[in-house]
Amino acid sequence: MAAAVTASAPPARSSSSKTESYVDNKRRDDVRRANIVAARAVADAVRTSLGPKGMDKMIASASGEVIITNDGATILNKMEVLQPAAKMLVDLSRSQDAAAGDGTTTVVVFAGSLLHRSLSLLSAGIHPTVVSDALHRLSVRAVDVLHGMAIPLDLSDRDSLVKSAATSLNSKVVSQYSSLLAPLAVDAVLSVVDPAHPDLVDLRDVKIVKKLGGTVDDTELVRGLVFDKKVSHAAGGPTRVENAKIAVIQFQISPPKTDIEQSIVVSDYTQMDRILREERNYILGVVKKIKATGCNVLLIQKSILRDAVTDLSLHYLAKAKILVVKDVERDEIEFITKTLNCLPIANIEHFREEKLGFADLVEEVSVGDGKIVKITGIKNMGRTTTVLVRGSNQLVIDEAERSLHDALCVVRCLVNKRFLIAGGGAPEIEMSRQLGAWAKELQGMESYCVKEFAEALEVIPYTLAENAGLKPIAIVTELRNRHAQGEISAGINVRKGQITNILEENVLQPLLVSTSAITLATECVRMILKIDDIITVR
Amino acid sequence: MAVERLLKDEATEEKGDRARMASFVGAMAIADVVKTTLGPKGMDKILQSTGRGRSVTVTNDGATILKSLHIDNPAAKVLVDISKVQDDEVGDGTTSVVVLAGELLREAEKLVNAKIHPMTIIAGYRMAAECARNVLLQKAMDNKQDPEKFTSDLMNIAMTTLSSKILSQDKEHFAKLAVDAVLRLKGSTNLDAIQIIKKAGGSLKDSFLDEGFILDKKIGIGQPKCIENAKILVANTAMDTDKVKIYGARVRVDSMARVAEIEGAEKEKMREKVQKIIAHGINCFVNRQLIYNFPEELFADAGILAIEHADFDGIERLALVTGGEIASTFDNPESVKLGHCKLIEEIMIGEDKLIHFSGVEMGQACTIVLRGASSHVLDEAERSLHDALCVLSQTVNDSRVLLGGGWPEMLMAKEVDELARKTPGKKAHAIEAFSRALQAIPTIIADNAGLDSAELISQLRAEHHKERTNAGIDVISGGVGDMEKLGISESFKVKQAVLLSATEAAEMILRVDEIITCAPRKREDRM
Repeated sequence: MAAAVTASAPPARSSSSKTESYVDNKRRDDVRRANIVAARAVADAVRTSLGPKGMDKMIASASGEVIITNDGATILNKMEVLQPAAKMLVDLSRSQDAAAGDGTTTVVVFAGSLLHRSLSLLSAGIHPTVVSDALHRLSVRAVDVLHGMAIPLDLSDRDSLVKSAATSLNSKVVSQYSSLLAPLAVDAVLSVVDPAHPDLVDLRDVKIVKKLGGTVDDTELVRGLVFDKKVSHAAGGPTRVENAKIAVIQFQISPPKTDIEQSIVVSDYTQMDRILREERNYILGVVKKIKATGCNVLLIQKSILRDAVTDLSLHYLAKAKILVVKDVERDEIEFITKTLNCLPIANIEHFREEKLGFADLVEEVSVGDGKIVKITGIKNMGRTTTVLVRGSNQLVIDEAERSLHDALCVVRCLVNKRFLIAGGGAPEIEMSRQLGAWAKELQGMESYCVKEFAEALEVIPYTLAENAGLKPIAIVTELRNRHAQGEISAGINVRKGQITNILEENVLQPLLVSTSAITLATECVRMILKIDDIITVR
Repeated sequence: MAVERLLKDEATEEKGDRARMASFVGAMAIADVVKTTLGPKGMDKILQSTGRGRSVTVTNDGATILKSLHIDNPAAKVLVDISKVQDDEVGDGTTSVVVLAGELLREAEKLVNAKIHPMTIIAGYRMAAECARNVLLQKAMDNKQDPEKFTSDLMNIAMTTLSSKILSQDKEHFAKLAVDAVLRLKGSTNLDAIQIIKKAGGSLKDSFLDEGFILDKKIGIGQPKCIENAKILVANTAMDTDKVKIYGARVRVDSMARVAEIEGAEKEKMREKVQKIIAHGINCFVNRQLIYNFPEELFADAGILAIEHADFDGIERLALVTGGEIASTFDNPESVKLGHCKLIEEIMIGEDKLIHFSGVEMGQACTIVLRGASSHVLDEAERSLHDALCVLSQTVNDSRVLLGGGWPEMLMAKEVDELARKTPGKKAHAIEAFSRALQAIPTIIADNAGLDSAELISQLRAEHHKERTNAGIDVISGGVGDMEKLGISESFKVKQAVLLSATEAAEMILRVDEIITCAPRKREDRM
């Protein structure tokens, strides 16, 4: 059927009855071409950061902030792209980040390569919608190929999970710590999986706390809570409490303030004394009520209306041997209460023992040049976990956090969709091979397009090899050869600089990352292909 | 020169031929902009905003494109308006109507150049339009009596509408979604009951229809995450404090204890308010404004699920679908209508948690959750789905359907041609021109698909000279095909609206023989 399209496509242009349509067509082609060129420029910008030997980019933002990263989504996000088609590529990487969390560079490089091939198809006179339809069929088929290659995984198989997290980490700055961070990421995700919904992981239940100082080696998983804050011990309160009874309060321990504007009229000095005394009594009353429930750790929510605590209240709290952490953000409250299995208390009248949470130990620990508060041994702890990331400078910490996020996403993908696939360019070559064979079964335009796009998939192994300083053509052809002989798990071993069975090298990635990269990239390319005009509007 | 200056400075006047030329050119330019988006293989446009943020929209929807254009030409504005009206009235055919009007004017221009008076052209167009409409009326099929066939008609219409949009690859899936949603409405055209939620991530195929209502908000801390047989109070009230809203109001006290008392009184007031709300016998409270920590805790203590900061749209819809009323005072529990639903629970879509109300009072209500790669895809998907929903809901009321793929146009063209032959006088030229304009639509569809339009249209015309043919352009195979077998249908109402409003618009523009542009109002130079 597609043959009919082929035959009639070229004459349509010349035999169009209207005289001006030729000019129109030319302009449309130009817009499409400009879009493709712009989008490819974006793809080229991140191409060198692909793979374990990919390079990092330094981004200096307008505000003078410097970011060093290898994460495609971050690079693209910070690039201020104006061209609409290029913007779509930035969005593409963002979607991959949301869908799979990893493979954000891969997806963009993919799209760039597909666009490159579409350009040559378009100049051969093929109608864009034909190209676009062929691309859709190709993506469906490619996902089938990937499913065929996938290795099912059991969540109890911790080893495989660690391996795939390590694969994701290997391309980052922190790759030398992957032996530490990978198991950490796996444990973090597995500990928040709710047995009632085994397929769902909410990454918001994993809190990452960054603290400058030390090295990435010191990064640890804390079963409990960590606050990047000092204990408020201005008045000499305790900094370490065992058998803690913790209250999360949303009211303030400071002189009362009404919502209506108020003023206290002082007419003579004796009244001043009285007011001070009353203030003291008021605060003492509050502290006594708190003490009465046996509470010995207070987490106080930040307040914009008035001081959460005053020196005076701190003094009384210290006397009552209560440890105080102030300025807890409101959006953290949910996480904290979930972890501590307690309820927030918004009014002193509601301060009751059943609303408290219990922990074995709350202590202030000094790390590097700062101090943090750790709560451990929580009773009936909710399904949350905290990772304390350390690093020698802010740039490293930020990048470590991003890398860790990618690794967490990888593990999450595996929990959602329990299949693994080989890394190192193996799936791409295999897709390219099988789709190439499939193209020969098809007829007409479609076959031509599929063949072209099948070759476009080789861009991933090609770039991997190129970035690793290997000879890309030699590597890719050898890889192709090995796959043709049936070694579907042969891939590029970047460390050894040769082709090996990549499964033995423990280079594994979740299936979801690959499938979503293919489907998202093709969807985006199809959208760009279908655009024939850019209209400026208000 | 008897009259030196009739108009104000800077006001311009264009007369006769020049005026007509200006409006023809403007209208045709507009039609040409959207022409390439017509049909299943139509192209998309990027709309790049020049405002802040330079936001980008990718769309295939004629109305959306035209709405956002900068337009100075008065005749072009008329076309933009008819597309807008078409969008409001029937929801689809927004491109067709503009293209048809453009083609009518293109033909009219030729006739005017051949020294035929515009009024004659108008008279001819009127006769032709009347004749074309009668053809449509005759040929329309009505399957209302046969529910099964009717449903398949709806499916076909939905698929035809969607096939020209981004959703074309998954059109069966979406057609089913749209038909299911519209059939739930049971004949009402109130599309408010169908909520569309967009969530980035996943692919378009993961979109689904869910009965009930989904609110993109969070449940307060420490409150139940799941409620059965919920009684819902929807409110718009301040849940921080009832402030005295008189400027400069303040309290004067003479001691700290008094301040504490006042604070206590404020708290007490809040507590009373919460008690009053609880006294409604509810177990779910949805407020448009913030709920502060204190009342949130009170609700949690009472085991009530409280949702804060639901936006206007959210609470209005929620009130509609749960059958409740939006309350703002709570003194008379008996007079407030509560909303009901079977189950409220927290669900997770992609990375986000949402609140799902199922088994709501208004059985028609449902939610379509769209998933897609990026916000562009989602926005465009929403527009496409909206078009399909509009057309379907119109079709449920007026169940007449026509075939698609240029079939009705060719049919009309043939009848109009016959009429031209029977009509004596100059009007015959105009009628012939009308028929040519009608044939332009299948021509453009074929051109957009990269097909040989001249060849195809002549084939199609030959096919239509037989009696009772179903022939139309089959864009997929690139030939002439049987539209009934291919299941390509269009709603009668859409086609009729396209025909009538395009003719009216063309007539209006043709009647113009003078354009007076008023002097722009002087503005202070504040830059």
